[in-house]
Amino acid sequence: MNFPESNMLLQPPSLEDVHHRHTPPPLAEPLLLFEHVSKWYGPVLAMNQVTLELNGGITGLVGANGAGKSTLLRMANGQLKPTLGRVRVRGIDAWHWHARRLVGYCPDADAFYEDHSGRKFVWTMARLCGFDRSESTWRTEAVLERVGMAERADRKLRGYSKGMRQRIKLAQALLHDPELLILDEPLSGIDPIGRQELLEVFRSLASQGKCLLISSHELEALEKLTNHVVIMARGRIAAVGTLQQIRDLLDNHPVSVRIEVGCPRELARLLLAMQEVIAVEVDRPARPGGESISLVVKAHHPKRFFERFGELVIEEQMDVHRLEPLDESAHAILGYLLGGSGKT
Amino acid sequence: MQAQTDTLLRYRPWRGTFRGPLSASFAMARASVKLLLRRRLMWGLFALGLLVFLFFFYAQYLAVWIPNQLTSSDTLRVGVVPVKVNDLTKLLERLSLNGSVHTFGNFFWFQGYVLIIVLALAGSVLVGNDFFHGSLPFYLSKPIGRWHYVLGKCLAIGFFVNLMTTLPALFLWLQAGLLYDWKTYYVDNLDLLAGILGYGLVLTSVLSLLAVTTAILVRQTVPMVMIWMGVFVLLRMMSNWLVDGLNQPAEWKLLDLWNDLYLCGLWCLGAAPETIRPQPQPEFWQAWATIAGVCLACMLYLRKRIQAVDIVS
Repeated sequence: MNFPESNMLLQPPSLEDVHHRHTPPPLAEPLLLFEHVSKWYGPVLAMNQVTLELNGGITGLVGANGAGKSTLLRMANGQLKPTLGRVRVRGIDAWHWHARRLVGYCPDADAFYEDHSGRKFVWTMARLCGFDRSESTWRTEAVLERVGMAERADRKLRGYSKGMRQRIKLAQALLHDPELLILDEPLSGIDPIGRQELLEVFRSLASQGKCLLISSHELEALEKLTNHVVIMARGRIAAVGTLQQIRDLLDNHPVSVRIEVGCPRELARLLLAMQEVIAVEVDRPARPGGESISLVVKAHHPKRFFERFGELVIEEQMDVHRLEPLDESAHAILGYLLGGSGKT
Repeated sequence: MQAQTDTLLRYRPWRGTFRGPLSASFAMARASVKLLLRRRLMWGLFALGLLVFLFFFYAQYLAVWIPNQLTSSDTLRVGVVPVKVNDLTKLLERLSLNGSVHTFGNFFWFQGYVLIIVLALAGSVLVGNDFFHGSLPFYLSKPIGRWHYVLGKCLAIGFFVNLMTTLPALFLWLQAGLLYDWKTYYVDNLDLLAGILGYGLVLTSVLSLLAVTTAILVRQTVPMVMIWMGVFVLLRMMSNWLVDGLNQPAEWKLLDLWNDLYLCGLWCLGAAPETIRPQPQPEFWQAWATIAGVCLACMLYLRKRIQAVDIVS
């Protein structure tokens, strides 16, 4: 599926700058394309007929443990070969090493050569990218500064905290300025301040036209970053799109909305007259001692409900203080889709 | 809106041409060599290898010095132990320390004992850990192929093979020239020089492939050491028992992989089959065929692991 919003972020990169001059990949091809991809681990079907297309922006990949997220990320990076179907990066088979010029990968494992310093490790990775010695040095310093590790990179890796390891992993993925950045649990173990810094880094990368595919169990952090998600369940893609789009498709699950308004009883009466509304609950005052009473409304067909609610507010000239969807969070949507609490 | 951190982004367009994945293999080999050089145990083993070299170095010198300075009836004092010159020259003659084919053949043979231990320990550090601890994804996420990874590791192992065998053997060749008439020795024995390099090449190819394959197979140090001891010690004892003890055909010696490598090396050095000790020995072609079979098996296994099966567990 295409994300129209994501496409807007995609700016044609100067491929000559980031790729080998003699083999520029065609721009017309999607950046990342999964075509009917299945993957078997012996008798276990880890991925089942997955089709996905990404062209830019930030995409969150969520799902329960064992849903196939890591398998998808590894296939996108050419670490795994699909049993059926094909994975292509700008038209190049992801399994081929040429495709990895376009992809940066930050794995979830953080096993390094513990005797190396962070700087040495990143420098070695730069050499593996095909940069010469001086360029490797330059890029190493640039990415270390980028992830906030320039001052601490001379320590041995064995002495690094979890957060520092995450930053080093991210640094090595950024080295060759990839078009597609695949991040497997990049925020795990990072303190709140560091997390905010990294979220800023991700946003700035996306604003420069990079495509980021981020797998994370930390849905709150992911929601701050993007509302484009790919939801995986049991090896299949359960849903793709913005959280709002996905929520709209869940007609079986009524949307819950909290409304704070000056005349709650009147509004409740009008709402109950609407076809889409199933129930209205009068909630306790939002603020102790305050006059405002909130209503919690449950309604089918969210899109139609919000359209009619807007018309109603204008017609009746109501003073709405607050309108808060209660179950459009990734947690709630995951819960609906996966049949659980939504916690991954 | 521009993010605050945009100012930190120091990327600039890359105007150069990327080096190919072969250069990445060399980078990986360099990193692997440095990794192994950080291990103190390895330095201990290198010191042991150095002792073997120094033994040959000084013994080759003594083999020339003794006949010139002493008579066979003289007695030398090594510390407080009196040693007859006659006995000493017999030992030196047995090792053929005269800059001939068997000088280098013997050196490679004895150095092999240390080399095998080094490689048995190095395999798991260089390759096994990448699999066992999961650092392989970092390498394979870079623009290199699977075979480039294998090549990088083989190069690192080849470095140690040549550091411990070929390089000291070349020193011995140079020393032999200086001990005898260097003008004629160097010119007359250029084929020996080529033979030493050939022997080194055979060892590098076979042992690096074998080390990488076994390290990928078993990954951890202890099983790796057990396999190498099985191949190079147990099979050797068995082949000797079969041939020398039970008088079975000499072809049973082909079970001894180090002996096969020795025979191939002696072929490179141009040794006559009847001068090889101990006798009987299989034919040169049989040793070559065995080595080729081992290499083929290793390549097939690596191909299977790399092409058909996911190597990221």
